[in-house]
Amino acid sequence: MNDSEQAPIIPEEGEVGFVEYQDFVSKEPFKFVSGGNLPELTLRYETYGHLNAAKDNAILICHALSGDHHCAGVHGIEERKQGWWNFMVGPGKPIDTTRYFVICSNVLGGCQGSTGPGSINPETGKAYQLDFPKLTVQDMVKAQSLLVDHFEIDRLHAVIGGSMGGMQTVQWAIDFPDRVGRYIALACGARHTAQAIAFNDTGRQAIISDPAWQQGSYDPEHGPDQGLAVARMMAHITYLSDVGMESKFGRKRRNADESKEHFEVEFEVESYLRYQGASFVSRFDANSYLYLTKALDRFDLHGPESLDATLSTVTAPGLVVGFTSDWLYPPQGNREIVESLLRLGKHATYAELAMDFGHDSFLVRAPRLYELIQRFLIR
Amino acid sequence: MSPNDKKRQADSQIIARWVHEGDRVLDLGCGRGILLEYLQQKKSIYGVGVDIDLGKIISCVKRGVPAYQGDIGAILASFPDDSFDHVILSRTVEHLEDADAILAEGLRVGRHVTVGFVNKGFWINRLNALLHGKRTVNEVYPKPWYESMPSNPFSVAEFETFCDARKIVIENRVYLSGDWLDECRKLPNLLAGYAIYDLSSID
Repeated sequence: MNDSEQAPIIPEEGEVGFVEYQDFVSKEPFKFVSGGNLPELTLRYETYGHLNAAKDNAILICHALSGDHHCAGVHGIEERKQGWWNFMVGPGKPIDTTRYFVICSNVLGGCQGSTGPGSINPETGKAYQLDFPKLTVQDMVKAQSLLVDHFEIDRLHAVIGGSMGGMQTVQWAIDFPDRVGRYIALACGARHTAQAIAFNDTGRQAIISDPAWQQGSYDPEHGPDQGLAVARMMAHITYLSDVGMESKFGRKRRNADESKEHFEVEFEVESYLRYQGASFVSRFDANSYLYLTKALDRFDLHGPESLDATLSTVTAPGLVVGFTSDWLYPPQGNREIVESLLRLGKHATYAELAMDFGHDSFLVRAPRLYELIQRFLIR
Repeated sequence: MSPNDKKRQADSQIIARWVHEGDRVLDLGCGRGILLEYLQQKKSIYGVGVDIDLGKIISCVKRGVPAYQGDIGAILASFPDDSFDHVILSRTVEHLEDADAILAEGLRVGRHVTVGFVNKGFWINRLNALLHGKRTVNEVYPKPWYESMPSNPFSVAEFETFCDARKIVIENRVYLSGDWLDECRKLPNLLAGYAIYDLSSID
């Protein structure tokens, strides 16, 4: 029994092509949930497509922990790598830029151009570092809402995100029910499991115990690179799955000569992870990593009262997608959000994809994910 | 709509008679969400579908029907008592591993439980078994045994005996003849091709 009466929409696909980032600066003081303040803030963002006259066709994309505002297109002719969600965003793609105006901003507390621990505090002329206020997912979303205000958009057509971006997406639906037309949260959960917190803290300890960290007051040129690289290597394992790693690397050897230096790179998987660690250091700030992972660990939709109480403000229809091989944010954590929404009588859908790519499955092009997102946005 | 689709949706109109405007409806084994879409349009219900198959969930998304991909027992357990006005199992009960427990849960979560099924006792099905030793095959279930979902078919009489034993109240019942269109008014266990029940628990 297929739905042959409704053939899938497969329009000609194009690319968003060359893109440039912009900086949005709010000169107003920004207050954090914790009570801390920033005198002003900057959000770096990219947009694709055109905002229509009614300003009702905007889609906000929220990126994951190590992602950024560059989710589609390329910055220049020499850039080989496209934005992190390029297969999903563009003309004729599920997040169709001929139809929607797409906004993606670097998260508050991040380090790719938005204000974070590495930014200069205009009041002191020095980087915030550990003087940066305690950060929560709610703060990230509140900052994004200022950017949405800047475009004079009252109501977003949709908010979409995976992982940390999924948590922001659900937080948007909770905090701004009147401004969210619908939302899609992928590979997320209502709160971190003990295992997820454990992995994050091991990563944080790798950074903190690196002598170069210096209680967070390191010179950006000489940061705790070793610690950050190890944190990234370990986190990266949690984004994959055992099956995925086995099929990608198995026991393939990089260096067959065992007589060489005993602990040099020997297996392919070692080489891959060391590369991941090293390249992460060149684009990420260690203090940002500490702040963002802590914000994720503290994120808890079950509190202060209950999951149902927290989600009670949601009005928009939602789609939550879990991935069977995701052991960082397992299906159950995704499912319980929808179970709660359905208990509350909300419009919510839960779909589960059997993919081997672990937590990172949402970053992999899959026809069914494609179709789900395309259809949910059009309805 | 093909004749098969017509037959496949045989129970929609009957179920719509029992559902009130604005009711809350949970469809277990919702398939492509056609019944819920129909009820949304006819009765402005709040409907939720449940199915184990991702392809079916995508079809529900296309129709704008909220749906939950997963296990029927698990989703029922997550709801408090009387969360829905109707819990529907249309051609679902025969595929359940623990029909008894699921029906009990359905009656806890819903004020009414609607069950629709192909009558194993229908004379053609009996004849098929008697003359050819074959399983029940019809327009809706055309596939041979080795290409079909595991199924545990039962008859009108067996179902009513079960309801009796479990003290389940049959509030309404409709038997359809072999074409699944006209109502069958006599000897349902022998002459009904399809049966639909509106059930509730005593309390």
